[in-house]
Amino acid sequence: MEQGKNILDKKYKKAYLELSNGISLEGNAVGADVNVSGEMVFNTGMLGYSEAMTDPSYLGQILVFSFCLIGNYGIPIPKNENFLISKGYESSSIKTQGIIVSDIYDGCHHHDGGTSLEEWMKDQGVPGISGIDTRYLVQLIRESGNLWGKIFSEGAKLQGKNKFEFLKNFKNDEYIDPSKYNLMPSVSTKEKLTMGKGSKKVAVIDCGVKWNIIRMLIERNCEVELLPWNADFSKIKCVGWLISNGPGDPKNTGDLVERIKKDILSLNKPILGICLGHQLLSLASGAKTKRLNHGHRSHNQPVFSLPEKNAYMSSQNHRYAVEKSSIQSDWELWFENANDGSVEGLKHKTKPFMSVQFHPEASSGPNDTSWIMDKFVALLQLSADKKI
Amino acid sequence: MPILDFLLSKNGKKKKVILLGSGALSIGQAGEFDYSGSQAVKALEEEELEVIIINPNIASVQTNRGPNKKVYLYPITPFWVEKIIKIEKPVAIISSFGGQTSLNCVIELEKSGILKKHNVKVLGTQVDSLEISEDRELFAQKMKSINAPIAQSHAVSTAEKALLTAEKIGYPVITRSAFALGGLGSGLAQNASELKKLTQTALMTSPQVLIEKSLHGWKEIEYEVMRDKTGNTITICNMENFDPMGIHTGDSIVIAPCQTINNIENNMLRDMAIKIAQNMGIVGECNVQYALNPKDYDFYVIEINARLSRSSALASKATGYPIAYIAAKIVIGFDLLELKNPVTGTTSAFYEPSLDYVTLKVPRWDLNKFSGVSKRLGPQMKSVGEVMAIGRNFCEVMQKALRMVNENEDGIALNVFANTSDDELEKELLSPTNLRVFAIYETFKRGKTIEYIHDKTKIDHWFLSHILYIANVETDLLNFFKLKGNKNSIAPQELYDAYKEISKDHLHRLKSRGFSDFQLTKIYLLACLNSKIKLSTKEIRRLSFNIRKLRKKLGILPVVKQIDTTSSEYPTKSNYLYLTYDGIHNDISPKKNEKSIITLGSGSYRIGSSLEFDWCSVMTSSYFKNKKNDSVIINCNPETVSTDYSASDRLYFEELSFERVLDIIDIEDSKGVIACMGGQNPNNLIQPLSEAKVNILGHSQKSVDGAEDREKFSAMLDKLGIDQPEWTSAVSISDIEKFIKKVDFPVLIRPSFVLSGTLMNVANDQQSLDYYLSLTKDISADFPVVISKFILDAKEIECDGVARNGEVILSLVSEHIENAGVHSGDATVVFPSQKIYTHTTNVIKDIVRKVVKGLNLNGPFNIQFIAKDNDVKVIECNARASRSFPFISKVSGVNLVELVCKVMNNEKVKKILIDESEIPHVGVKASMFSFQRLDGADPIVGVEMASTGEVGCLGEKFDHSMLLAMEATQIRKPNKGVLLSTGREKDKVKFMEVINNLYKLDVPVYATKGSAKYLEGRGYKVNTVHWNRSPRAVDIIIEGKVDFVININKNLSVDELNNNSEIRKTAVKCGCSILTNLEKVMSYLRAYDSYDELQSIEHCINL
Repeated sequence: MEQGKNILDKKYKKAYLELSNGISLEGNAVGADVNVSGEMVFNTGMLGYSEAMTDPSYLGQILVFSFCLIGNYGIPIPKNENFLISKGYESSSIKTQGIIVSDIYDGCHHHDGGTSLEEWMKDQGVPGISGIDTRYLVQLIRESGNLWGKIFSEGAKLQGKNKFEFLKNFKNDEYIDPSKYNLMPSVSTKEKLTMGKGSKKVAVIDCGVKWNIIRMLIERNCEVELLPWNADFSKIKCVGWLISNGPGDPKNTGDLVERIKKDILSLNKPILGICLGHQLLSLASGAKTKRLNHGHRSHNQPVFSLPEKNAYMSSQNHRYAVEKSSIQSDWELWFENANDGSVEGLKHKTKPFMSVQFHPEASSGPNDTSWIMDKFVALLQLSADKKI
Repeated sequence: MPILDFLLSKNGKKKKVILLGSGALSIGQAGEFDYSGSQAVKALEEEELEVIIINPNIASVQTNRGPNKKVYLYPITPFWVEKIIKIEKPVAIISSFGGQTSLNCVIELEKSGILKKHNVKVLGTQVDSLEISEDRELFAQKMKSINAPIAQSHAVSTAEKALLTAEKIGYPVITRSAFALGGLGSGLAQNASELKKLTQTALMTSPQVLIEKSLHGWKEIEYEVMRDKTGNTITICNMENFDPMGIHTGDSIVIAPCQTINNIENNMLRDMAIKIAQNMGIVGECNVQYALNPKDYDFYVIEINARLSRSSALASKATGYPIAYIAAKIVIGFDLLELKNPVTGTTSAFYEPSLDYVTLKVPRWDLNKFSGVSKRLGPQMKSVGEVMAIGRNFCEVMQKALRMVNENEDGIALNVFANTSDDELEKELLSPTNLRVFAIYETFKRGKTIEYIHDKTKIDHWFLSHILYIANVETDLLNFFKLKGNKNSIAPQELYDAYKEISKDHLHRLKSRGFSDFQLTKIYLLACLNSKIKLSTKEIRRLSFNIRKLRKKLGILPVVKQIDTTSSEYPTKSNYLYLTYDGIHNDISPKKNEKSIITLGSGSYRIGSSLEFDWCSVMTSSYFKNKKNDSVIINCNPETVSTDYSASDRLYFEELSFERVLDIIDIEDSKGVIACMGGQNPNNLIQPLSEAKVNILGHSQKSVDGAEDREKFSAMLDKLGIDQPEWTSAVSISDIEKFIKKVDFPVLIRPSFVLSGTLMNVANDQQSLDYYLSLTKDISADFPVVISKFILDAKEIECDGVARNGEVILSLVSEHIENAGVHSGDATVVFPSQKIYTHTTNVIKDIVRKVVKGLNLNGPFNIQFIAKDNDVKVIECNARASRSFPFISKVSGVNLVELVCKVMNNEKVKKILIDESEIPHVGVKASMFSFQRLDGADPIVGVEMASTGEVGCLGEKFDHSMLLAMEATQIRKPNKGVLLSTGREKDKVKFMEVINNLYKLDVPVYATKGSAKYLEGRGYKVNTVHWNRSPRAVDIIIEGKVDFVININKNLSVDELNNNSEIRKTAVKCGCSILTNLEKVMSYLRAYDSYDELQSIEHCINL
């Protein structure tokens, strides 16, 4: 949506989305003048584009926003570079390869906005295409199950291979399929970081953690020790563990599952796994994971707890899921998806271990399940008080 | 079991549940409740329940007869509901599907112990919660207890306290006098000195002043919440007002989903909505309204509605999620996890729809119908209908919606303000009227900035920037075409060539931003055609066809998209569709088997076209659906049952414009289009559609034209030897003088354009004539005035029927209680007629046969007559379904629409002869007025229609139906006192026939001087009141000494109207029952003969 004068004279730069099924869609180039490739995914959330684009779980993916109008309220002003109060960001930079929208708004008037979405994309070197029939594209992705794409516009430069580590695995003209590789090195913190103050020290394994997980822990008086994915967990002193969300195939994470099993599951300290963390924990427990047709990426995934059947709207972003039949006998099904019956959460029958496929930290999306963070922090307190 | 135990059938016997409707349509409570009620009926019937409907709204779909359903057309009052409870012995009652009316009734029934006495349970949200939602004080307490922020009122009695309070809550503040009528002493204070002045003035007339934080300019946002008995809760949809706080939501343009708030704001408000629903113990649906500060994350809860509402209907249509249907399942015991989302059929009903489009609601005002009513929008709702546009960008939905609501093919580029001064424009921005968006548009065209307009209107930049875009496009196009020079005529091919010069991408973009071909044609004409040459709509439409040709050649066509609640995450077979140019892929492709039949709906409700035409559309569509045709509906009114996706095989929620209907016909490749069932709006499309070679079912275009064209119709009547009131189309003052010399006053005048006031008026004398003419444009050949003889003291009669190839299949005669001079839409209609001589009926039926033959009608018709002595004259003929179709169908037991459908479907139909005297009951259809909502309107009935709704009640005899119909339209038995003004001497004499019935009511009678003198002279005790000295008539009303006002005008002169209008307006303001028509008053008072009999009746009539 452009506000300028002389609209008839305005020339749009064409951009093309070339899909691995042979279909090519034409639109207008927006954002940075870069050609990229990635796995095609769609999100049906109607708000929260800045949160989604900075969510490390979208690494290597071209994100299609099914909602028709994106960018309406601009991009929030980062507050003193301090992510803890800069809501609207889930990491320090855009993690999606590119975005596809029907219409992008080029202004920013929101009281909490600093710049327009397009400006931000240019700053961050991220391209996009507008003017695409996103509903049609969603249907193509849904029907094909596996679809990869390239954003191409004439004269645009190639994406630098240094941007993310995993990019080095791909040739220039190849469709990028991020889940073929271990993405942990691309998203995890390089060194240990300590944040927040409090009586409960919780170790967070950074598999591409969303900042709101850390915000919520700190708000609940925890001291957060953010660990690189390849840190030596056996040396960590803490009252409990959180295994974070992140991108890719849980089986493509090097020795991470083994180390979780060996160094963390062997303890009797509270563990919370979120999204990829849930899948990793499940694998460590002996369960299996599978690839879903197109996954769940939205703010309206209905989940319910067992046995109470309390239902919640949840925010989700995942392609892989735990196989119900593979749940080990000392674990039980905690949450289930009300639409397709997929596993949404597991609980250990005797130990303080739990994990959820959805995002209790929301951001973006509904806060219905934030109580899980309360529950986890309460367990941390028990652990700190040596009552577990 | 999901369903509550006590609702389970026992020994094969179904349990009965009462479902209350909302009664007659009025401003603020309209067709949306027929939609929610009919969904509820469907949901309940599926669960083996027998539904007892109580609703006097005879034109509603929910009051149709059904196998598991009983329908009582009775007033929704505790008295009648209890009577029906005694008859039917239901186990439960449902309050939440009939608006405020049913909610209030259930609260009263519960509080008076009636429900307990008869062991009837309230389903859904319980009465104590309903009361909290209704009572400001209880509500404030409840919100405080759960930390929900509310903008509280603080009552103060001194200016000092006012200042202290304002300091605490922060400026600006609003002041309101606690006890003043008409907003005296209310105002906005920006600072202490302004507040001091305001409170001092206010405290002079009122002991208390309320101080509130001003939320002017804040965003107004709403959430629709659904909660089940287990506590599981979802929000179906959020909505944002284009107009910020200060304009009633019902009068605001509303977009769904919210567009200018971010994820944090959305979830902050969503969380609070869920918290409120949890704490209020909602079971079913509720909505929560907020004011959100546009400058930070501050917000206030404004109110909640613990029931289905206008916005829940809108949210259902906006999302596709059938809120009322699911809410009905929930109130009988289901929980959300047990239910499936009916749109997908496979996923859970515990689900918050995701949209991949936007919807825009624009209200429809008919303020021109009421002289004296301010057009300014504010906290009091004034609109009478609404439309909703669906599209994939804001420009598209804005332009679509404006075309839907104004029945033209323009969009926003309609230059109503083109000649307005800058100052006037600014005023319009500062205090908005129903035309504000056009003023914004014009202001942009004059080069003003977004900032400037935001500053005046407080409308969010995001909305404004899109309007600016459209204005810029228009300016660009004008400049581009201007180079072609100033021409005296435009050849069709020129348009084709002109737009061919614009690149295909740009033309596509223009279409995707909602520009219609008609609009693009107009822009070209504005740029290139000599401004002295004016083309008619017909001519512009013909020219615009060339743009269509060009587009088709270039492949610029709209695509069909489904509304599926999931943004395509799951595959669906949804039949709920819209068209957009923002896309390349069609979600559906109907089979090209030429089987689909397209029914055009009525569009926005308005005065003169309402629920009754939706009923006709729904009946038509159902008929063809049952006949295994592909039944298709096009309509754009979110309040309707016809836009429920189950009413047709495919629903196009779209414009009823020539261009869009053609687009759909192209997609559907249909067998035929039905345009005669949705009222005048679709009927107007018959001409252009026929010209475009579309197969129109029913009457031919020639028949319709023959009925609608005054000259042609009149000539035909003359040829057939049928009498009609004398008339002429005057193009000069001398024409008018000549005509009046011939026929004498009074005359009915109908100018083709008015600057203010209403279009049609009766001129009683030269002075009135001059006055009414002064309100019109200069009379000329372009703006003729139709003037006809107005016949006093004549009876008005209607005949509704169905014809086939010029032969009458069925015709049924009804009569008006009021004499001619009251618009047929406002009149009280009786069927079967009670007071027409057989001879007159025979004359009428004979005329009907001749007219039907003469016009060669082939479908539904309605012919109106006036009869005086033995003379019968024809006033007009509508070659389409009429307002009275549902009433006549339900009272006679013959569904006229079904007959029409058979005719249109070329089925065998035999001529039906009904002996109307054999019909076991009498039906009275009465009109509902919304004057109480329209500050400044004179509540008098006349030739211009003013009612917003109607009821139809049945009785064993006329008196019963009359009393019921009056009660159902808020004419209540006098309790405190009656104020009389009985009109002309002749009327005073006549009134004596019923005077004893009035005195039998045993309440004090007050009368204005003349009437009082007349009564005293005949020995009746009466208190005299005066116009301008004590005791004044208006004071008697204000002091509450009377609650019933009978006010008959002496004549229709302007002076007489003005004299009485103050009494009438005051009566309305104070909530009195008011009657202004002598025949209606007399019928009503006469009916009191049977009052006691009716009250003690033990068998209520059900359909």
